[in-house]
This record gives sequence, structure tokens and C-alpha cells, in this order.
Amino acid sequence: MSEYVVRFSLRERIEHSLVGVLFVVLAATGLSQEYFSMSWAAWMLGAMGGIDRVRWVHRYCGLVFSVVVAEHLFTAFWNMSTGRARPSMVPTRKDFEDAVTRYYLRLSDQPARFDSFDYRQKFEYWGMVFGSLVIVVTGLMLYFPLLTTRFLPGQLIPAALMAHGKEGLLAFLVVITWHLYNAHFSPEAFPFDASIFTGKLSRERMEKEHPLEYERMLAASEDKPEDKPQDKPEDTPEKPEASLSATEQPGPPG
Amino acid sequence: MGRRPFILIGLFVLIAVAGGGMASGQGGASAGRDLSLSNDACLACHGDPSASVTLGDGTTLSLYVGTKALAGSVHAGLACTDCHNDITTVPHPTRTFPNRRALSIAYYQVCKQCHFDEYSRLLDGMHYAALAKGNQNAPTCVDCHGSHAISLPAVPRTRISESCAQCHGRIAAQYSKSVHGKALIQHGNSDVPVCTDCHHAHDNFNPRSASWHLDIPQLCAGCHGNQQMMAKYGISTEVLTTYVNDFHGMTASLERSEKVRPRTLTATCTDCHGVHDIEPVDSAGLVAIKARLLTTCRRCHPTAGPNFPSAWIGHYEPSLRHSPLVYAVKLFYLVLIPFMVGGLVLQIMLHLWRAVANR
Repeated sequence: MSEYVVRFSLRERIEHSLVGVLFVVLAATGLSQEYFSMSWAAWMLGAMGGIDRVRWVHRYCGLVFSVVVAEHLFTAFWNMSTGRARPSMVPTRKDFEDAVTRYYLRLSDQPARFDSFDYRQKFEYWGMVFGSLVIVVTGLMLYFPLLTTRFLPGQLIPAALMAHGKEGLLAFLVVITWHLYNAHFSPEAFPFDASIFTGKLSRERMEKEHPLEYERMLAASEDKPEDKPQDKPEDTPEKPEASLSATEQPGPPG
Repeated sequence: MGRRPFILIGLFVLIAVAGGGMASGQGGASAGRDLSLSNDACLACHGDPSASVTLGDGTTLSLYVGTKALAGSVHAGLACTDCHNDITTVPHPTRTFPNRRALSIAYYQVCKQCHFDEYSRLLDGMHYAALAKGNQNAPTCVDCHGSHAISLPAVPRTRISESCAQCHGRIAAQYSKSVHGKALIQHGNSDVPVCTDCHHAHDNFNPRSASWHLDIPQLCAGCHGNQQMMAKYGISTEVLTTYVNDFHGMTASLERSEKVRPRTLTATCTDCHGVHDIEPVDSAGLVAIKARLLTTCRRCHPTAGPNFPSAWIGHYEPSLRHSPLVYAVKLFYLVLIPFMVGGLVLQIMLHLWRAVANR
């Protein structure tokens, strides 16, 4: 058996990198507008070329981000409805139990055992999905206020502005606490969990961090011994159960 | 900067010449100046009501200066030659002026001998720029302050707009009908702005420039951000903060500090409230402003529909009464953000604690 398993497809890895870059640009150009009266924000706005340019950069990056969100949701929906992916991101009762484990309450010494995605990853994923929907819809309303008010009451514009700014702040705070901790500072990941960039996860970490999925993989490979589990991307197109990815089959690495 | 020493040297020369002239006029008196004698010497000729000269354009200029000319003036203690410092000999050297205006303009620099601050501010103003371009109608000191009978320019306060009205009559008429003008003229209110509070007396900048436009909110905030003053009239000082926190106000306050001037100018106070014809925003005034709001919006947003103006929620902080939807969104995040971030931080702490404890 190979030393690693393919966990993310090329499309997913590109998606993550794109969203990462867009997030940094959108947060820098957005939060400096939200807090423009603060001296640090005024400095940032000046350093980025003035409010006019910052607004256009924010709008164009927002449009690209909207396209990425739409593409992701469409692909996920398509893959699941055609049976090419299992709904590995859907929260289950087990996730809620995991979040408040006996482990954290010190009633057990064993951490919860996770499937493809643990409750932290699911929480962040769905927070991202709903946050993105709010951000994209309110952002488009603010981009096109004349069009919006042709169909909707005017008060929605300042309401959208309030929601857009606060949702952006929330997203920023979640990323700098939750995401940075889970991907960089937690004892499991420190200093850097590279699997979303390489697409691969070592067998060792797989066994430790996603034991339920790993066991399912082993069972599947015992059923079909000639199939090495997930070390080759073209392994399992006909076996959605064994897919490691959230939304679709693993693509070719690299 | 480099010109200042020369101007100063010039001043000393002028004063020396004037002093010398006076000395010769007084027959060699060296210490102290007997003003009455000096002025009496001038009035020997200029006290004659028939004294006059003919100017280049054929008009007659009376040279008569009564004994009482300076009596009620703030300059009552000055000698004639303090200002008319080019007069050093009798009879005076011949000078020709095409008309009376040219004479006024030739003399306006005299004032800076004493009022140098005002003069240097004048150099930054539009009136001086017009004068420097050769516009003979541009005002000089005497047009607002008078020549011999000079009194305090802002006493009474209504005198200021009357001075400006000599040339800016249409605007002065608008002003006198505005909420500010009415309060001043009809009720003697000294809190309201007169022309010079916004435009300045000497360094009156171009009010059609982009930088002026972007400065308007700060200009109005001079009074409308003053809680003590606004409390007298029951006006909220939130008018500024609510404007600045909105899209247009944010744009104006950021762009005013940027070096590059914007291509389009954002809406400021005067775009909705008017400039010289500002009306009170009582119930009737509010109706009037709202009635023309769509037209106002369409000046910059020509495709605005009837719902568009209500995207501006007025000068009120969102509350249950004003813009409840915006208030609800604000409250929602006020609860959600600390709940969410606090919960995540707690999870991180628990995770770290257990990871360390399990080692």
C-alpha cells in the first residue's frame, strides 16, 4: 500500500488557493473600508491607492469570488445528484456529539474518531457556505443599488451594507482564529497542514485523523485486493462510497 | 517666502519717506508728530469743498475731505500721510488715473503696512486672483471696509452680508430668505453663519472647486457638530456622523485627504439641503426635501427609481423606530459575532488543553 492517500482533487486545490488569495485581498480592501475612520484603515486605503481604486479592486475580486462560490455549489450538487460523490460534508448527529466530546469534558482520554471530515472542518465549511451566500448576495446589492431598488425597498441597501460589513468581519475573525489554528497552530497540524495544497495526506495521519474513513478504505481494498485504496486517482470512479473528497472523485495529483 | 524681506524693506522705505515728508511738511520738527498740525496742513487745501480734479475718463473727483472724515473711524488717531504715504511734497507730484476705480486699486496696498496678516490671506483668495488678472471690479480693502469712515466690519453682524451684497446681490437675497439669513436678519441670532463664516473674509477660496466641495461636511460640522450650540435649537449633532458613516460621507471624508482629485464629486450636505437657500428641516421642510429627493438623486444617478432615495435612511442612527431592518441586522451580528468567535476560541483552548494533558 502506498504511503499516502489522495484527499483533494486538482479542482479542489485550485479552488482553495483561489479563495485564499481572494479572501486576503477582499479582507484587506473590505475591512479597511468598513473601518475607514480608524487611522490604520486610512493608512491601508492610502497604501492601496486610494478609496476609488480599493472599491474597484474589492468589486472585481468579489465578482470572481461569487463565480467560485457558484461553481463550487453547482459542482457539489451535480456530483452528489449523479452519485459521483458521497455527502461527506453533511453534518450528522455524530458531529454535534464530537464537538462536545467526553474527551473535552475530561470524561474520556480518547479523542473522538472522525470520518472524512471532522466537525471542525464541517463547521468551517458550512460557515463558509452560508457566509459566502450572505456576502455575495449583499455585495451584489451594494454593487448594483439602482437595479436592486427597482424591485426591492430602499432600506435593504443600508441593511445589506450592515450585513456585508459584519459578515466580513465575522469571516475574518473565524479565519484568523479557527482556520489558522486548525491548519497551522494545532498540535496535529503545526506548523503547516499542506494537504490542501499537495492534495495528499500521509497514511499515518489518515489513520489518526480520519480513522472511520480509513477503516472503510481498508475494508474496500480487502474486498477488491487488486485495488489499492486511493493512492491512484483513477482507482474508484465506480465506487462513490470510497471517495475521499467532499464533493467529487479525486483528480490527478499535481 | 522670498518676497517677504523685500516687502518689509519696501515698507521701511515707505515709512521713512512718509516720515520724511511729514517732517518737511511740518517745517523740520524732528521729535514726535503733531497729527493735528499735519492733518490741518492737508485740510488747508482738502477742507475746501470745491477742490476737485478731472480723471482720465472725464469724470470729476472731489478732493474734499471734511474735518470730520476720520472722526468716527477706527483710524481716528492716524495722520492723512500714514495712508497717503506717497504724498511727500506740496504741491503733490502729478499723478494720472484713468478713472476713480484705478485710483482705489492703486491705493489698496497701503493697508498692508499695518494689516499685513489680512493682506497675505487676501493673496490666497479669489478676489485677489481676479484683481491680479486685471479685473477692475474685483474688490479691494476699501470696498468692504470703507476708506475714511472705517468702522468695525462685522458690527452689526448683518453688515457683512450687506458688504457682499454690493456685488453678490442675488445670492444675498437668497441667503436672507434661508433659515440662516432669516434668523440673523429677523431675529438678530448671532449663532447663524454669515457669508464670511463659510467663505472667509480675505482668503475666500473657489467654492466651485473639488476641494471646497469635499470640505463642505466639515464646514457645516463647525456648527452642526457643536453639541452645545445645537442643543439650543433641538438639532441633533448626529447629522454629521450619520452622513459620514454612509457611502457618500465616507467617500467625501476619504477623498478630501487624498492628493488625486476624484473624477466625480460625491454628494455632500449642500446637494440635498441647498447652499444659500437652506431651508429649516422642520416637518414642512422635511416634506419639501423628500419631495425633491428623487430629482436630487437623479442629478448623479439618472436611472434611479422611486425606491432609490429611501436607501438613504436619513440622519438617524438605526433604531426600532428608524430603519428597524438595519437595526435588526446590526443586533443580529452584535450577538452572533461574540457568540461564534467566543465559542471557537473556547474550543481551541479545550483542544490545546487536552492535547497538552494527553502527552
